[in-house]
Amino acid sequence: MSYKHIFTPLTINKVNIANRIISTAHAEVYAEDGFPQERYIKYYEEKAKGGLSLAICGGSSPVSRDSPWQWWKSVNLATDEVIPHLANLADAMHKHNSNIMIQATHMGRRTTYAGIDWPHLVSPSGVREPVHRGFCKTIEKHEIKSIIADFVAAVDRVKQSGMDGVEISAAHQHLIDQFWSPRSNKRTDEYGGSLENRMRFGKQVFEAVREKVGKDFCVGLRMCGDEFHPDGLDHDTLKDIAQAMSETKMVDFISVVGSGADTHNTLANCMPPMALPPEPFVHLAAGIRSRVNVPVMHAQGVRDPQQAERILAQGMADLVGITRGQIADPHMINKIREGQETRIKQCVGANYCIDRQYMGLDVLCVQNAATSREATMPHIIARSEKNKRRVVIVGGGPAGLEAARVSKERGHDVVLFEKNEEVGGQVNLSAKIPQRDQMAGIIRWYDMEIKRLDIDVRLGKAVDKAGIIKEEPDIVILATGGTENIEDKWGPKEGMCVSSWDVLNGKVKPAKNVLIYDGMGQHAGAGLADFIASKGSQVEIVTPDPKIADDVGGTTFPIMYRRLYALNVVQTPNYWLEEIYKEEDKFIAVLLNEYTEVTEEREVDQVVIENGTVPNEELYHALREESLNQGITDTDDLYANQPQKCLQLCDDKGFVLFRVGDCISMHNIHGAIYDSLRLCKDF
Amino acid sequence: MQGFLVNQLPLLLLGIALLGFTAGVIKRIGLWRQGRHDQALKLSNIFFIPKRYLVDLHHIVARDTYIANTHIAAAGGVVASVLLMIPIYGFGLTNFYLYMALFLATFSAFIGGIFVWRRRSGRPSRLSRGKWNGVPIALLSFSIGFGFLTLFQSGYINANSVSIISIVVLSALATLGIFEIAGGGLLNRPFKHLLSGSLHLAFHPRQARFKSKGALSTDLKPVDWEVAKEIGTPGVKSVKDFAWNRLLSFDACIECGKCETACPAFAAEQPLNPKKLIQDFVAGMENRNDLAYAGSPTPGIPLGEHGGNSSSPIISDLVEEDTIWSCTSCRACVQECPMMIEHVDAIIDVRRDLTMRRGNIPETTAEALENLRQTDNIGGNDPKQRANWSLDLGVAMLKDGEKTDVLFWPGEAAFELKHQKTLRLVAQLMQKAGIEFAIPDLREADIGDFARRVGEEVLFETMVKKNMDLLSNYTFNKIVTADPHVYHSLKNEYSSYGGDYQIFHHTEFLLQMLEEGKISVKEKISDRTYTYHDPCYLGRYNSVVDAPRALLAMTVENITEMDKSGMNSRCCGWGGGAAFSDIPGKRRIPDMRMEDAQQTKVDTLVVSCPNCMTMLDGVVATSESLGPLPEVVDIAEVTARAVAL
Repeated sequence: MSYKHIFTPLTINKVNIANRIISTAHAEVYAEDGFPQERYIKYYEEKAKGGLSLAICGGSSPVSRDSPWQWWKSVNLATDEVIPHLANLADAMHKHNSNIMIQATHMGRRTTYAGIDWPHLVSPSGVREPVHRGFCKTIEKHEIKSIIADFVAAVDRVKQSGMDGVEISAAHQHLIDQFWSPRSNKRTDEYGGSLENRMRFGKQVFEAVREKVGKDFCVGLRMCGDEFHPDGLDHDTLKDIAQAMSETKMVDFISVVGSGADTHNTLANCMPPMALPPEPFVHLAAGIRSRVNVPVMHAQGVRDPQQAERILAQGMADLVGITRGQIADPHMINKIREGQETRIKQCVGANYCIDRQYMGLDVLCVQNAATSREATMPHIIARSEKNKRRVVIVGGGPAGLEAARVSKERGHDVVLFEKNEEVGGQVNLSAKIPQRDQMAGIIRWYDMEIKRLDIDVRLGKAVDKAGIIKEEPDIVILATGGTENIEDKWGPKEGMCVSSWDVLNGKVKPAKNVLIYDGMGQHAGAGLADFIASKGSQVEIVTPDPKIADDVGGTTFPIMYRRLYALNVVQTPNYWLEEIYKEEDKFIAVLLNEYTEVTEEREVDQVVIENGTVPNEELYHALREESLNQGITDTDDLYANQPQKCLQLCDDKGFVLFRVGDCISMHNIHGAIYDSLRLCKDF
Repeated sequence: MQGFLVNQLPLLLLGIALLGFTAGVIKRIGLWRQGRHDQALKLSNIFFIPKRYLVDLHHIVARDTYIANTHIAAAGGVVASVLLMIPIYGFGLTNFYLYMALFLATFSAFIGGIFVWRRRSGRPSRLSRGKWNGVPIALLSFSIGFGFLTLFQSGYINANSVSIISIVVLSALATLGIFEIAGGGLLNRPFKHLLSGSLHLAFHPRQARFKSKGALSTDLKPVDWEVAKEIGTPGVKSVKDFAWNRLLSFDACIECGKCETACPAFAAEQPLNPKKLIQDFVAGMENRNDLAYAGSPTPGIPLGEHGGNSSSPIISDLVEEDTIWSCTSCRACVQECPMMIEHVDAIIDVRRDLTMRRGNIPETTAEALENLRQTDNIGGNDPKQRANWSLDLGVAMLKDGEKTDVLFWPGEAAFELKHQKTLRLVAQLMQKAGIEFAIPDLREADIGDFARRVGEEVLFETMVKKNMDLLSNYTFNKIVTADPHVYHSLKNEYSSYGGDYQIFHHTEFLLQMLEEGKISVKEKISDRTYTYHDPCYLGRYNSVVDAPRALLAMTVENITEMDKSGMNSRCCGWGGGAAFSDIPGKRRIPDMRMEDAQQTKVDTLVVSCPNCMTMLDGVVATSESLGPLPEVVDIAEVTARAVAL
C-alpha cells in the first residue's frame, strides 16, 4: 500500500495516534490574553478536520510568571484560568477523533524582561542571550525549586483540562537546555560541571511532574539534536542526554530538532527556509532514535508525503512533523489518504509564517489566506447556491489566480486573461533569485488547480475594455498588478538606470560594476544583489533603511546575509539615491546620507532600481463608469467578511467591477491572495 | 420405381434413421460413461425435461429472439415430422389431418432451415463452421424432400404427373436430410443435440438452476475429499475425472460461440476461448485431436497440436495451462450459454488439480497464496494493520461475546489507501445514519475467494474456518461489506460449511439507509456525468443490479448505461486470480472495460468493488486511448457527496 508507514498507527502512553504525520509545537501568536480562544481553537480544529491525529500546540507556553510571553501572544500555563480554555480546545479536537498536546516550558534567558510583570529573567549562569537581548540573573536554588513547582502545576492544569499530553521543551535553548549547554551553564554546584549535574534540573522537573500526574499521562520531551555551536552541545552529547532521559522511564516521547537558536544565524536553521536542503536535520533524529526506547518525532523541512513516508520507512523517526506544511494546507492528510497528493498546497519554505512570529505578529501563510481565519475564511470553497455568474478576471498573478480558483469553486464561469505566456506575475520574478526558486511552487499549485478546475485561461494576450465587455461578464475582477516604481529623477527614460524586473527577466544583462538601489528593504533587493553578484558582477547595495533587507524576517535575512557576505556585496544602508548622471561611459550615482545629509558619489557601469510597484489603473478607469458599482468595493462589507451588496445588481444586466492586489496599491503575496479570497468567497 | 420412392422409401428411411439414432444413443452413453459416477440423480429426472426446456432454457434462449423462433420452427418441425411419420409410414394411419400436420411440420422445418441458413450466411465469427454448416442443408433437404414425398404419398399431388428425375432428386434430399438429422449420436448431427441437450437438462450438474425461472447457482462446490482420494486428485486431471453428467454437459455444446463473444479474456486475445475449451474436453471424450473443430481458435494456439483420450492429461494434451489461468471467473460465458454449460466449474476443477496436486501455479499467484498462508491476507500485510483505516473514526471493534446490529466486514480493502477511502465513507455514512455497527477484530482473515478460485481449496477451507470461528464469537443481526467477493462468499459459499448470515452489499445497504430516511440526499449531483460498472460477483453472481442503479438514481442526475451492463457487464479483469496470473494477451481487460465507459462519454465511472477499483483506476491513458479517462470512484463516494457527508 502506498503510504503504509504514514497510516500505521502508534500508541504513545495511552494516546492512540492514527497516522504518523503530526503538527509539532510552534508559536501561533493567536492566544488572546494568554488563552486559546476561538481563532486558536478553529485553527487547530481545521487540521483535525483535515485528518491530523496529533497536534502539539502552544510552542513555548510558559509555566511561570517570570517567563514573559506577551510578545508572541503565547498560551499562559501559569494560571488556573487557562484550564477551561484548554478544555475547549481539547473538546474541539476530540470531536474529530484527533489528539492535542501542548508544549510547556520555561524560557529562562530566552525572552525579554520588558512586559507584564517586568521580571528579572533567570538563567543557569546569568549569561545573556544574543537574539532576544535576554539579560538575566543567575538562577538561585529557591528559584529552581519554585520553577519545578511551576512545571508541576502547569502540567497538572493541562491534565485537568482533558488534553492528551504535554511536551516539555528542552530545545531552542529554553531553561532546561540552558542547564544542559556548557554555553550557558558555567555553574560549579550540583547543577553545573559534569553532564550528570547539568542534567539534574531537567530530571528534577520530570520527577516532580511524574509524581503529580502519574505514569499514565503522556509527557514527552523536545530537545535539540546538535546546537552547532563549538561551545555548545554536540550530537554525541545530546545522544547521551536523550538516552539518559529515556532511561528514566519518565519520558513518553522525544521530539528532536536540529540547531541551536540563540544567535540570528542559528535561528534561521530551526525552521529551515527554502534555501536549505530538504529535511536537513533528519539524521539527528535518527541518531537519537538509535539510543532511546521511546518514539522519536522530527520536524524540520519535511514538506511532502513521499518524504515523510521515506523517513518513516527508513526508521529515522517514528512520527514526522509537517507543521508549516499543514499551515499551508490543513487538509494535507486527507488529501494523502485520498490519493490527491497533487492537490496539496505544499509549503514552499517562504517562512512568512515564522518570520511574522519573530516580529510578534500572528502566524499567516504566504499562500493560504484562510489559515488562522477559519471563522470567516473557508479552506474548502463551497459551491454557491445562487445564480451561476460569468466572472472575467484580468491578470494571472497570485491575486488573479486566487480569484479565478475561488470563483470557479463557487460554481461560476470563469475567464482569466494573462498578458504573459505563463501565469504567476511577480512571483515568477521572485523565483529567479538564487535559492528562492521554490517560490515558483506557489504558482505551480495554482496552475494545477486551474487545470483541475478547467478554468478558461487566455494566455499571451493583453485584454482591453472591448475584449472584457465582449465576454458579457457579470463580474469583472482586475488583478492587473503594478509596474516598476522608478522615479523620474533617476532618469529611467534617459537610460540612467534599469529596473530589477528587467535584470531578473534577462532583458538586461548585469554590467561589471553594479549599484543596486533598494528602496523597499524586502526580499527583492537583497535577492537581486545575490542574483547579480552570482553572475560575477561587483555589487554595492544601497538602502535608506537601517540595514539591508530590513523588512525580511528573522529566519530569512540570515540566509541572505550569508550569501551577500560570501559574494563580497558591499552593503550601504542609510543612504538615499538622489540622482544619476552620466560621465563618459560610466554612471555616477549620487547618494544622500539619511542622518548626516551629506552626499557621496559612486562611479558604476549600471544602476539597478528595486523600489516596489505603482498600480496599473488604466483598465480600472476605463471600466469604472460603466460598471454597476462604479468600481467601488464596499470595504465595510469586505472587512466584515460580508458579501458585496452590489452583487445583487449584476444578475440582470451589466457587470460589477472589483480590484484585488497590487493594482490597488502594492501588497505582498499573502495580501493579494487575501484580497481575492475575502471578496470571491461570497460570489 | 416412383411407387417405391413415394410409398416405401420414407418407411425405410425412417426405420434406418431410428436404428441409427438408437445406435447413436448407445454410442453417446458410452462416451459419457467414461466420466465417473457422481451425483445421485434419478432417472426420473427425464420427466423434468419438457418444463426445463420450455421454461428455464427458453428464458435464456429467448434473449436472442431470432434464434429462439428459428429453433422453434426448425426443431419443432423436425421432431413433429418424425413423430408424425411413425403413424403414417409405420402404421399406415392415413387421413387428411395427419398428412396436413406432417406437411405443415415439414414446412415449419423448411422455414427454420431458411432462417438457420440466413444466420449462418451472415457468418458471425462466433459460429463454428465445418459440420455445423450442414445444419441448414439438412433442414432444407429434409423438409423439401419429405414435404413433397408427403404430398405425393397422400395423393394430393399425383406422383405420376411428376417427372421421375424430380422424384429421384426429392427422394435423395429426403435421404440426405434424415441421415443428417437423425444420424445424431453416430454422426454428431442435430439429433445428437436433441439427445444430449435434453438429457443435460435432466441431469444438469447444478440442479438448483431449475428451481425457478432464471434461478442462479453460482457458488463453487466444495471438493469431495472421498472422491479426490479415489481418483487421485482433488480436481480433474483427465477428462474421465469429470462426473459423467459433466461430460454430458460438454457434449450438449452446440458451438454457437455466445460464450466466446462474452468472454473478456478472449476479447483481450488471451489464450482462452470458452467454446474451444469445452470442445477440447469433447475431443478428449471422443478420443481424437482438435482438427475437427471449426470455430474461432484459442488466441495464439493453432489447431492440430492438441488431442488425446479420456485418460490423457488435460494439461497439456488437450488444453494449455495459460488457457486455464486466463479465466477471470466472471461467468459471462455461463450467463450467455443457451445450453446452460458450466465453463467456470470446469476451469476451477482443472485449477484444483494444478494447484493442489501438481503445485503448478503462476508465480505471482503462488506468492499471493503464500501471503495468505502467512498473513491471512493476499498482500502479505501485517495483520495488525487491519483496522488502521478506522482508528480516527471512532469505529468500534467487537470483542468476543459482544454484540452489534451491523457487523461491517472490511475484507482486503483494509490494506489499501484507495479502498480504505470507501470503507471510511461507508463507516461515516453509517455513523451519520445512527446505525450501530462495529468491525471484526484483527483475527479477520481473507474471505477465501481468491484461494478458492485459483484452486487452493484447502486454504479456502482454512479461511472459512478462521472466519466462522471469529463470527461465532459475536452476536449481530447482519453483515455489511463493500466487497462483492466477501458478499458472495459469505452469502453463498460459507453455507456449505454451515454459515448462515444475513448479508448486504454496501450498495444495498446505502440504498436502504436512504429509503428509510436515515440519511437523505441534500442535492442530486448535477455537475458530473456517470456510468456504472457492475462487479461480476455482485451482478452476475448475485443479480444485485437494481440496488446500485436505484442508489445512483437517487443521488445523481446524469447516468448513462454502458452497452455491456447489468448481468451482461464486462469483467474488470481481476477475478479468479486473473490479476495475479496476468496471462498476456493482445490487450488488457481493464483497458477494454475503460473503453466501454469512454464510449458513454461520461466523466465518472462508478464502481462498487475494491478490485474493480484497482483494475479500472489502474488504467493509464495512452496515445491509443479514446480520449481522457473518466475518474473512477466508488459508489460510496457518490453517495457521500450527495448527502453532503
